[in-house]
Amino acid sequence: MSVASEDKTTVARGAFGDVRRAASGDATESSARRLVPHTSILTARLLRRWGRDPATVLESLAMPVALLVTVNIVLGNGISQLTGHSALYGSVPLIAMVGAMSGSMVGGIGLMRERTDGLLSRLWVLPVHRASGLLSRLAADAVRIVGTTAVIMCAGLVLGFRFRQGILASVAWLFVPIAFGVAFTMAVVTLALYTANTIVVEASEIVWGVLMFFCTGFVPTHEYPRWLQPIVQHQPISYVVEAMRGLSLGGPVLAPVVAMLLWSAGIAAACAIPMAIGYRKASMRG
Amino acid sequence: MTDIAAVRPATSTVQQWWVLTVRVIKPTLRNGEFGTQVAAPIMFTVNFYLPLKQFMGAFTQGTSSYAQYLMPLIALVAISFAAISAALRSATDSVQGIDRRFKASPIAPLTPLAARMSASMYRCCIALVVSLACGYVIGFRFYGHVAHTVGFLLLVLLIGAVLALLGDLIGAANKNPEATTPLLLPPIFVLGLLSAGLEPVERFPSWIRGFVRNQPVSQYVYALRALAGDSTPAAGAVSWSVISPPLIWLTAGAVIVLPLHVLVSTRRR
Repeated sequence: MSVASEDKTTVARGAFGDVRRAASGDATESSARRLVPHTSILTARLLRRWGRDPATVLESLAMPVALLVTVNIVLGNGISQLTGHSALYGSVPLIAMVGAMSGSMVGGIGLMRERTDGLLSRLWVLPVHRASGLLSRLAADAVRIVGTTAVIMCAGLVLGFRFRQGILASVAWLFVPIAFGVAFTMAVVTLALYTANTIVVEASEIVWGVLMFFCTGFVPTHEYPRWLQPIVQHQPISYVVEAMRGLSLGGPVLAPVVAMLLWSAGIAAACAIPMAIGYRKASMRG
Repeated sequence: MTDIAAVRPATSTVQQWWVLTVRVIKPTLRNGEFGTQVAAPIMFTVNFYLPLKQFMGAFTQGTSSYAQYLMPLIALVAISFAAISAALRSATDSVQGIDRRFKASPIAPLTPLAARMSASMYRCCIALVVSLACGYVIGFRFYGHVAHTVGFLLLVLLIGAVLALLGDLIGAANKNPEATTPLLLPPIFVLGLLSAGLEPVERFPSWIRGFVRNQPVSQYVYALRALAGDSTPAAGAVSWSVISPPLIWLTAGAVIVLPLHVLVSTRRR
């Protein structure tokens, strides 16, 4: 085959044939090899966007830190007297989860805006891996959650929170909120994909509000009315708090981690398919 | 030819005010604002009363119940959420250019603000009714004289009016509806929690007691608690020394916010 004829096929393919093949070489946009770069580009896009949006920064950084300082001033002394340990071992993880969950809501509203603006449909007609749209949202959220946790950890360290279980446990501590945080994001994203009104997504604040106040990280279990205690002990945020308490102060780690992973896996399994279908629908309308 | 000014229609300020008020109130039933107004006090009551009843109940200085102690803060949180809605409304109006349109129309300059304030008072009334219902469910009762009960209701509405005015100013100055809630929620949280509404001042670390005692929320709480009364004398007597600090705070707030509002809303773009 001569050089000229090969050139001609490329041109012909570029003009009329399968444009996607020509654009991406051997791998098509639906191949697994394309998934990683596409997801990382879209993840970087979301993170950059959040970083430039004052509402997101306030919601996921300033508010949790203010909340941590306040809760510690109001309840810290009383709880320390009651339990013999600093209340921060419970409240720092609790507020980290609050930051993670309130940030999910901002992400959900952002997704709805991008659906209205037509960005989702635009991405759907471009040679971009179909799964990267959703995966990038979850990946960006995981990064955001670790970032929020790190900031809240620094605030906690200033207030008197200390790691007592060595470097490995401390590093693990930082990554514990990802599991349930991402599962919660999946739930919020699913909700966002099936509703037109942002108020429904904002109502998820009620969910994390209840999870926050009825949690062993807020006040010790036995302070709750007796009929509430089993619910308080077995709700997911309590498990996250207990796992993180075990990794910082000391105590059981395995049992709460397993329970937390079961909660997260349950929510993820329930949301995965509706979320994928909803994303496809949202991308194809209009 | 007649002068063009001659065909200008006669306008009624009262009618304009009413139309603009209804414009704000009507959509609240559909866009979820009404739901927020109802849900916020309920969520606050449930989230704070159940976990803290036993924890705080022991320290509430002889009040008959923690419900009696918490009620003023429930009412204040409820009207704060009304103020957030006011800020959201005002930010939406300025960003969508409605305010500019009003300025170009034959409407008295203060009518749109008056209409938004009327809508805010409607929100405050809902907030007040819902928070009182929440209080009654957990065991709060009015023990005072009828005049004191009326004073309680009026003081809550007055605080609501000044907060709504402040919210309206923040919304108009900020022009960013999405940032309104994240901007206003932390100060409300911080001032509400660092007040005498949740636990007595003596329970706070000593370095912050001065702030907690003297900040406006605590002063409102003291006055409302005295006006609500109690079966024990712990709520305190209604006297000028309890009632005047809130009134001074509110007057000062209005005196500062009103000129700023005029400044912001007459600013040309």
